[in-house]
Amino acid sequence: MTLAIGTTRRPALSLRRAARPVIGTAAVASFLILWQIVGANEIIRSDLISYPSEIAETFVAMSLSGELGRNVLATLGEFVQGFIPACLFGIACGLAFALSRRLRYLTAPLFAALYSAPMIAFVPIIVVWFGVGRDSKIAMVFLAGVVPIIINTATGVNEVSESWVRAVRAFGAGKWQIITKAILPGALPAVMAGIRLGVGRAIVSLVAAEMYVSILGIGRLIQVYSNSGRAAEIFVLVGVVSVFGLGCVMALRSLERYLAPWRAER
Amino acid sequence: MRSLSDKTERFLLGTLGVVALFVFWEYAANHNIINVAVTTSPSRIVVAFVAQWQSGDLLGDLRVSLGEFAVGFLLSLVIGVALGIAMGMSRMVEYATDPFIWFLYSAPLIALYPLIVVWLGFGYTTVVAVTFLLTVVSIIVNTMAGVHSVEPVLVRAVQAFGGNYRAVVTKVILPASVPLIVAGVRIGLGRALLGVVLGEMFSSNAGLGFRVSYYAGRLRTADVFVALIVLILIGLATDQLCKQIEARLQAWRA
Repeated sequence: MTLAIGTTRRPALSLRRAARPVIGTAAVASFLILWQIVGANEIIRSDLISYPSEIAETFVAMSLSGELGRNVLATLGEFVQGFIPACLFGIACGLAFALSRRLRYLTAPLFAALYSAPMIAFVPIIVVWFGVGRDSKIAMVFLAGVVPIIINTATGVNEVSESWVRAVRAFGAGKWQIITKAILPGALPAVMAGIRLGVGRAIVSLVAAEMYVSILGIGRLIQVYSNSGRAAEIFVLVGVVSVFGLGCVMALRSLERYLAPWRAER
Repeated sequence: MRSLSDKTERFLLGTLGVVALFVFWEYAANHNIINVAVTTSPSRIVVAFVAQWQSGDLLGDLRVSLGEFAVGFLLSLVIGVALGIAMGMSRMVEYATDPFIWFLYSAPLIALYPLIVVWLGFGYTTVVAVTFLLTVVSIIVNTMAGVHSVEPVLVRAVQAFGGNYRAVVTKVILPASVPLIVAGVRIGLGRALLGVVLGEMFSSNAGLGFRVSYYAGRLRTADVFVALIVLILIGLATDQLCKQIEARLQAWRA
């Protein structure tokens, strides 16, 4: 093992620079090949671990039959319907907490409790309240997403530098303009961080809620195939959920670039 | 009112907020503003708590959940720190494991849990495994960042005085990485609790996570809230503990 720390860094050779992607790709490729060999030759029972080529075939089959599309759309719909209100309400609420210290102190313990609680534990009670259909999933997405957005918005607004507000006020801005021209742009990075956190929590809670009980959706598919012990289908669905999460992260990044182009230049 | 210090005001208002919520909840439940059968009420939760406590159910569930929590978390702490140091010190190891760690970090592991059930069966082992998987990644990533933050000068100093590989790790790298490891632990503890609940809810027949789902299925909402509130308190307590440790470390380093 070579010590990477403490050794003086030599000027990077082109070989060195290529090392990261090359070694990374090689590791992933050898893992996939090993998996394929072990699975396809039944060295370990393939219904337990499946293997890459079977997963690829399953993915194609599930896409063609429309099974995947239908369920992805259902999950996506629940996510959007829960998360957009969570963003709007969360930012408004966070703003109110930041502007009123008393209000913030009043609600701090409740939000601390909601923030550090494992969100999944709320799934059963939410199902009791909102039923087994779409409503309980939308409520779960909202609940899981809104808390970090509120907390981060409140923190972000508090940390907007006083000089921004004074500068805007010096040019004759009213209270509303101070909020839209100084406070919201200044708090944007923190708000976006809260939204990113919220997305992660919301996806996990949504999938958990669908797995717990539902009629349509990726989580339900996962539950169905796990009951019938189908590893290949589950791996496909794991991939789908990952891509979904990744897509959200990328969409948020481009939204942030659009809303705050001055930050991208740094 | 200015005579109140900020800290007191914070405490008083916070308490007031919680009390007001419970009073309002109790009032609404007793006056049929909300449906007691599904929303229950604070007094009913207290009664349910006493009943669960006296029957020993609550202690039993608590023991199961905390046991899984502790085993899963300690396993991921030991393995996570060891792997994180290996990845931080060797570029080869880092480059080779990076894609897998990244996948585990960003993939919703909840979707993988059915496979873990298939591999390990229902119950204790699965819950611990889910907890371990959810926790270990944040500890690995943070430990690695901690190792990267070590001043190379310090490593060279130990080597100059004849320190061997082991001395470098125990005398320089481990102590210097501690703050970041603790930050990883704080994230990890939250994820560990999530793992316990997830595992118990879907693949166990004991523990607080199982109870939440079990009582909800029987519409015993007061009992659901007992388990839920205990889980929230565990989350708050572990988070506070980490904050204290972080504060101590800050003071010790300064």
